[in-house]
Amino acid sequence: MPILLEITIWLPFVTGLLALLVPTRRAKPIQALGLAGALVTMAVALTLAFRYAAGSPGLQFRTTLPWIPSLNATYDMAVDGLSLPLIVLTCILLVAVMAYSLREADRPKGFTFLFLLMATGLNGLFAAQDLLLFYVFFEISLVPLYFIIGIWGHENRRYAAMKFFLYTRFGSLAMLLSFLALYLSVRPHTFSLAQIAAAHPFAGGGSGAALVLLGLMLGYGVKLPVVPLHNWLPDAHVEAPTEGSVMLAGALLKMGGYGMLRIMLATVPDAVRQAGWVLVTIAVVSVVYGALAALGQRDFKRLVAYTSINHMGYVLLGAAIYAMSSDPRVRALALTGATYQMVSHGLLTGGMFFMVGILQEKTDTRDLDRLGGLIGRAPLYSLLLALLAFGSLGLPGLSGFVAEFQVIGATVSLSLLAAVITVIGLLINTGVYLKVIAKLLMGAAPGGICPMTEPTPMRLVVVGSLTALSLLLGIAPMLLVQIIRGATEISAVL
Amino acid sequence: MKLWTLIPELIVGGLCLALVPIAGWVKGRWRYSIGIAAIIGLLVAIAFTARMLSWSPQMVMEIYAVDGLANVFKLLIELGAVITLLLLLSYFRGHTQLAHAPLAVLFVALGGLGLSSSMDLTLIILFLQMISFSSYVLAALVRSDGRALEASLKYFIFGAVCLAIMAYGLTFLYGMTGSLDLRVIGNALEGRDRMWIALTLGLILVGYGFEITMVPFHAWAPDVFAGATAPVSGFVAVVPKIAAFAGLVRLFLYALPNGLIGWPWMIAGLAAITMTFGNLAALRQQGLKRLLAYSSIAQAGYILMALAVLQRSPMATAAATYYLAAYLFMNLGAFAVVAQVERSVGTDQIEEIGGMGRSAPMVAAVFALSLLSLAGIPPLAGFAGKVYLLQATIDGNMLWLAIIGAINMVIGLFYYIRVIGEMYWRPAKHPFPLITGVGFTGAYAVLLFGTLALGIWPAPAMAVTGNVSQLVK
Repeated sequence: MPILLEITIWLPFVTGLLALLVPTRRAKPIQALGLAGALVTMAVALTLAFRYAAGSPGLQFRTTLPWIPSLNATYDMAVDGLSLPLIVLTCILLVAVMAYSLREADRPKGFTFLFLLMATGLNGLFAAQDLLLFYVFFEISLVPLYFIIGIWGHENRRYAAMKFFLYTRFGSLAMLLSFLALYLSVRPHTFSLAQIAAAHPFAGGGSGAALVLLGLMLGYGVKLPVVPLHNWLPDAHVEAPTEGSVMLAGALLKMGGYGMLRIMLATVPDAVRQAGWVLVTIAVVSVVYGALAALGQRDFKRLVAYTSINHMGYVLLGAAIYAMSSDPRVRALALTGATYQMVSHGLLTGGMFFMVGILQEKTDTRDLDRLGGLIGRAPLYSLLLALLAFGSLGLPGLSGFVAEFQVIGATVSLSLLAAVITVIGLLINTGVYLKVIAKLLMGAAPGGICPMTEPTPMRLVVVGSLTALSLLLGIAPMLLVQIIRGATEISAVL
Repeated sequence: MKLWTLIPELIVGGLCLALVPIAGWVKGRWRYSIGIAAIIGLLVAIAFTARMLSWSPQMVMEIYAVDGLANVFKLLIELGAVITLLLLLSYFRGHTQLAHAPLAVLFVALGGLGLSSSMDLTLIILFLQMISFSSYVLAALVRSDGRALEASLKYFIFGAVCLAIMAYGLTFLYGMTGSLDLRVIGNALEGRDRMWIALTLGLILVGYGFEITMVPFHAWAPDVFAGATAPVSGFVAVVPKIAAFAGLVRLFLYALPNGLIGWPWMIAGLAAITMTFGNLAALRQQGLKRLLAYSSIAQAGYILMALAVLQRSPMATAAATYYLAAYLFMNLGAFAVVAQVERSVGTDQIEEIGGMGRSAPMVAAVFALSLLSLAGIPPLAGFAGKVYLLQATIDGNMLWLAIIGAINMVIGLFYYIRVIGEMYWRPAKHPFPLITGVGFTGAYAVLLFGTLALGIWPAPAMAVTGNVSQLVK
C-alpha cells in the first residue's frame, strides 16, 4: 500500500493549505484543523510502521513516477528501516507541537501552515530515493523554520534567522554540487540513489571522491551539526519559539544524520573509509566540545542546544565506524546505534525544549542561576524534567542509553582511544544534566520567590508522551532495533 | 521567399505600424485599446510561434534563421512583453502613457524577435539598436520625472557608445573574413591571427555586455532601473537581456567554433566577476529597484556560466534557455510587486514594504516566492534553473566556476531574505490598501504559475526549451 506513505508525506501540506484558506481570523478552528491533520498523519504513519515487514530487507511502500525525464530524475518514494523510524518520529513531534501550540494566538494561520509544510518536507526527505528529490525536500524543510524563527522568535530573531538560513544554505549548496558530480559520474546520468550506489562511480576513493565527500560533509555537517560548523545552532535555538526549537532539535537535525547514513555511506563508502579517522576525530571532538560548552552555560535553552551537538556527534561516529569496519556485526551495531540515537534524541531533546519553553513562559527567565526549588512548586513538571534529563545523560532504562551504548560498543572494536574520549564526553554530559537537576529542582530559588506553577494538563500530556516513548524504547529496544536491522543488512550488501 | 515563416514578426511589426497613429489621438478610456490590441496581437504571435516549434530549421533569404533556438527565444520575448503590457495597463491607469507605453514595448519585442533569428552582422546591429532605442524611450516615459529623464539620457549615451564600439568590432569580422554571414565567418576565422580575433571578440562583447548587464558594462543598469518606472525596469531587465543572450549564443555557436582563442575561459572569468560583483553590490542597497538591478546583474552572471561551456557540454544551451525562462517569471514577478508598491506609495524604498506580510498577504506571498526563486530555493523555477546551470557547468569541466556560482548563491540569499524579512517581521509602515487592478492580478497569476510550474514539474517546460538545440546548419 504505497498510498499510505504518500499520505504521510502530503497530508500535512494539504492540511496546511486548508488552514491557510479557512475563511476565519479566529485561532481555534485553524489550530484544531492543524492538530487534526497532524493526528491523522501520525495514525497513518503508525499504520505504516505496523504494516512494515521488518524481516524483509529492501525498500517498501515504493512509488515511482516520472518527474524530470530529460534529467533522469524521478519522483521515487519508499521507506526502509533507516527512514521509517524518522518518519514516525517526525509525525509524533508534529502532533506534539500542534497540541502544545493550541494556546498560541499570534498569526495562527501562518504558524500552522509553516509547521505542516515543514513536516511534509521532512517526511519527503526521509522517503526520497532520488538525490534531486532529496535536495528539494531538504530545502523545503529549512525554509519554514527561517520564517518561524523570524516571525515568532525572541528579541534577536532576525539575526538568528538569517544566520540559520545562510549556514544551512551554504551547506546545502555544497551538497548539491556533490549530487551533481555523482549524477554526472554515472552513465547514463541519473539521480537515482540505488543506481548510483550500484554503479559505485568513485570506487577506490581518490581526489574526486574526496571532493564529493567534502561537499556532502559540509551539507550534513552543518545540519547535524558538527564542530566547527555548529555556530548557528545555539543562536537559532535560543531565538526560536519553543515549537520551532522542538522541531529543529527533534527532527531537522536528523536530516544531517540521515543524509550521512543514507547517502554518504551509499555513494562514497571508500572515501568515507579513507577519511575515517578525520571523521572519527570530528565526531569525538563534537561529543566532548558539545558537553563542555553546555557545562559553561547559564541559559537553560542554550545549554540544551549545546548538548544536541554532543548527542549528534554519536551519529557521525557511528557512520565513520560503519565505513571503517569490515566486521558485519560491528557495522550493524554502529548503524543501529546511530539511527537509535537520532530517534532517542528527537524524543528526549524535543521534550526538553518543551520543558524549557514552559519554564520560560511561567517564570520569564531561562537563567539557571535565578531559578530553583521547582520540585516543591511543580512536582509533575519536575518529575518529567528529571526523567528527560536522566534520559539525556544516558541512564539505562531510557532510550539514550541504548543508542550511545551501541555506538560506543562499536567504537571500542576499532579504537579504544576514541571510545575512551567519547566516554569522557558522556561523563561531562552527565555532569551537565546533574547540574541542571540540582540547580532547578533542588534547593531554593536564589532571591526568594520563583513564580513556577504546574503547566496545563495538555502540555503535561504532550511532554509525558514523549518521555513515555523514550522509556518504552529504553526498556524494549527490540521494537525499534528490529525495524532498523533490515536497513543495516541491505546496506551491508552495498 | 516563404513569408509564413515570419508570421510572428509580421504580426508584431504590423501592430507597431497600425497602432502608432492611433496612439496619437485616442483619449480617455480609449487609451486602453492600444494595450489591449497589443496583448491580443502578441497572444496570436505566441500561438504561431508555439506552432512553429515543431518545424524543421530553415533559413530565410540566407540571413535570417527560423530554427528551434529562434522560436524558443521568441516565445520568451513575446511572453515577457505580454506580462509587461498587463502591468502597464494597471500601472498607468488614467495617465497619457497608457497609450504610448505599449508601443515602445512592442518595438523592443520586435527587435528581440529579429535579433534571435539574425545570422547576419548588419541585421544583428540593426535589431540591437532597435531594442535599445525603444528601451531609451521606455525609460523616459514619465517626462515630468527628472530622475527618469536623467536615467534615459544616461542609458542613451552609454548604449550609443557601447553599440558603436560593437559595430566597430563587427566590421573587423567582415574585414577578416569578407562575409557578413556568421556561418561563413566561423569557417573562415580558424587560422587567422589570434590577436585580431581576440580584439574583435572583445569589442563585440562590449555591446552584448551592455545589453545583458555584464560587468564591466553594467554601470547603466542600477541608475536606469532606479529612475524608470518599475514595470519598465522589469521589462528592460528581462526582455532585452533574453534577446541579447540569443544573439550571443548564435555568435558563439556559429562564428567562434571549437573554443577559438580560448573564449570559454574569457566568458567563464566574466561570469565569475559579474555574479560576484552583482551580489556584493546588492547587499547594501536601500531601494528595491536598485537592489533588483544588482540582483539581475548577478543573475546574468549565472547564465554566463552556461555560455562559457556552450561548446563543452551538450546541455549548456538548453540550460541557459531554461534559466532565462525561469528568470522571466521570477524577475518580472519581483518587479511587478515593486510596481504595485511604487504606484501605491510613490517610492520604492525597502522600508515601504514593512509589514506587508499582514496588510497585503497575497502580494507579499508573490514577492516572497519570486525572491526565493531568484535565490534558488526549491521547488521554485529558479531552483530548477540553477540545478540545470550548475550541472552544465560541471559537465563542461568547469567545476571551479560551479563552486564560485554556488558560493554566490549563498551571498545572493542574504539580500533576498532581507527583503522578505522586511515584509514579514517589521511592523506595518503603511496601513496599506494597495492600489489594485486587473493588470496586476492577471500578471501575478501568470508569473506565479510560471514560477511554481517551472520548479515543481519542469518536464514540459524543459521539453519546450530543449528545442534550442535545433539549429540551422
